[in-house]
Amino acid sequence: MYDFIVIGSGAGGGSLSYYLTKGGAKVLLLEAGKFYRKDTFPRTEAEGSAQLYWGGGIEFDKDARMGFLRTKLVGGSSIVYQCLMDRFDDIALHDWKAESGVNWFTQEDMAPHYEQVESDMALHTFKEDERTRNGQLFANACDKLGYKWSYLRRGQSDCAPEKGNDCTTCLAGCHRDSKQSALVAFVQKAEKLGLEIQTEIEIDRVESHANGVKIFGKKHKNAVTFEGKKVILCGGAFGSTKMMLQSGFKSKLPALGKHFSSHPQFMWFGFQKEIVDAHKGMFQSVASKDPNFRKEGFKLENVFSLPISIAMLFTAYGAQHQQYMKKYRHMQCIEVAVRDENTGTIQVDNKGKLVVTKRLTDQDNARKERGLDAIKKILVASGAEEVYESQMYFGLHLMGGCVMGVDGGKSVVDPEFRVHGEKNLYIVDSSIYPNAPGINPGLTIKSLGNRLANQLLK
Amino acid sequence: MANHLSKNAQKGLGRLGDLILPASGEFPKYSDVAGFQYLDEMVENAPEDDISSLSLVLSILAFMPGFILQWIVSKMEKSQYDPSNGILAVTFRQLNVGIRGLLYSTYYSEKINPNYKGKTPEQLIDFEVKRVAD
Ligand SMILES: Cc1cc2nc3c(=O)[nH]c(=O)nc-3n(C[C@H](O)[C@H](O)[C@H](O)COP(=O)(O)OP(=O)(O)OC[C@H]3O[C@@H](n4cnc5c(N)ncnc54)[C@H](O)[C@@H]3O)c2cc1C
Repeated sequence: MYDFIVIGSGAGGGSLSYYLTKGGAKVLLLEAGKFYRKDTFPRTEAEGSAQLYWGGGIEFDKDARMGFLRTKLVGGSSIVYQCLMDRFDDIALHDWKAESGVNWFTQEDMAPHYEQVESDMALHTFKEDERTRNGQLFANACDKLGYKWSYLRRGQSDCAPEKGNDCTTCLAGCHRDSKQSALVAFVQKAEKLGLEIQTEIEIDRVESHANGVKIFGKKHKNAVTFEGKKVILCGGAFGSTKMMLQSGFKSKLPALGKHFSSHPQFMWFGFQKEIVDAHKGMFQSVASKDPNFRKEGFKLENVFSLPISIAMLFTAYGAQHQQYMKKYRHMQCIEVAVRDENTGTIQVDNKGKLVVTKRLTDQDNARKERGLDAIKKILVASGAEEVYESQMYFGLHLMGGCVMGVDGGKSVVDPEFRVHGEKNLYIVDSSIYPNAPGINPGLTIKSLGNRLANQLLK
Repeated sequence: MANHLSKNAQKGLGRLGDLILPASGEFPKYSDVAGFQYLDEMVENAPEDDISSLSLVLSILAFMPGFILQWIVSKMEKSQYDPSNGILAVTFRQLNVGIRGLLYSTYYSEKINPNYKGKTPEQLIDFEVKRVAD
């Protein structure tokens, strides 16, 4: 029997498996997706979208308004993420503590875990000469309008901008092992230390017994079972919640599937007379850092993407759409991410399909409007000839469903990451987030993985 | 069984595609450029029942009169602004994303008809990225 079986190899599962293996434990990592590496990642946007994502590209809320992106491969969503690595501020930790009653959600308690994870990753803070034109336009307009902004910190070792490498290509996996995905920062290192990895195994449910946990799943439609002394779910907000629901925990834990949030993101465009080439080089280098925006519950980032994704955001059809796309190289783009209320729910229907309800609340809409208003001002101040207000929106930061808290009536895992009432079943990933921090979640997920590993190794 | 879009479904998609991506200015119409042979690859990992429903709907559309297609396309285009969460509104929003996803993946990409001779949509938007491996 394995000491530990970790289900899901993303930010949470990758980090946890690494620290457990490094600590000498016998660990099996199970992953629903395939194992791609730098030389086998898809080479085009169309292939990346079709091959790497759950749902074959995108999943939707029940109303088909909000799209969700999450990936299914070793490394999880960290393979496609932008790897912006931010620690939580006092506001985020305070709000977590207030909602959950967990007393270690403090800077002092989190600091050693952040430090450990940061020391295991190559981190880079952008500088002035690395800004793309999209970033320059954003920063200059913020200066004009009196909005504070700052350079982003990204996990990357060697992106080769001097050789002309365009980092938009790593949106389907980094072909240089520069981006510090969970694969690069943790899984490949853990493999060398003896971590066992089995892929293309989708786990349906778990069942506890006196000395461990039995796991039931499928490999290419054939039933498989595993058994571990301790089992840790790291399937992300959708994956872990689904496994828990299918394991029948809802009757014991009424909070299961609740408190889902996703930092809804809206991207608006300004068309410049000059060529912006927002898709070239290190395409994302600056973001808003305005204390008023933080208080008001949103943040802005200068972002962009490849043609198919950009085309999806322009909802007009026909010649008008093609004319917008004709100006692809002239597009300036800014995104607002809303710090949303955690009122969403995750359920599973009788066919085993996820049903996600995620309607924007009045507060979410007010925050969105304030953010979009700021974007419009920035685009106009940058000299955009026309502003395109895209109606499409999506969530990349899927959080909650199995939230952490002291009260088993209101949460799913306890402050030791253990499922309430269970001896050997744990969860560590974005599903345990008590509410939306309004900050990139990845670094904290990895740090929580480190915290749980330290606890389990004691 | 692996996901598959039947010949009729591809024909339906081509008809919708020509309304959503018509010939305009230098841009060719969808069916002249589309990489129909790549469609199965594009839907390979989508949920099987979603793809079989989509395939059925597209096959029916292959034989619908043009004015019905026009009506469907205009409902799809406006669906994102529709405040309703009723089944019809939700279905049009799902179609809007699902169908456009397939169209754009086989138009603004390399997944186009290899026999197409004109300037490709990627060339028309002047898109080029550089990937520098080790
Ligand atoms: C395009 C994009 C850009 C982003 N940019 C940033 C950023 O710049 N900074 C940041 O901090 N965050 C970013 N994020 C968010 C970040 O990637 C996620 O918050 C983070 O990866 C979530 O970690 P996780 O461990 O909870 O889940 P994931 O990383 O999604 O990992 C879950 C893993 O579990 C597997 N799994 C699920 N269910 C099962 C099952 N039943 N059986 C077996 N395996 C299963 C999945 O296949 C997956 O590999 C971005 C996300 C996206 C999509």
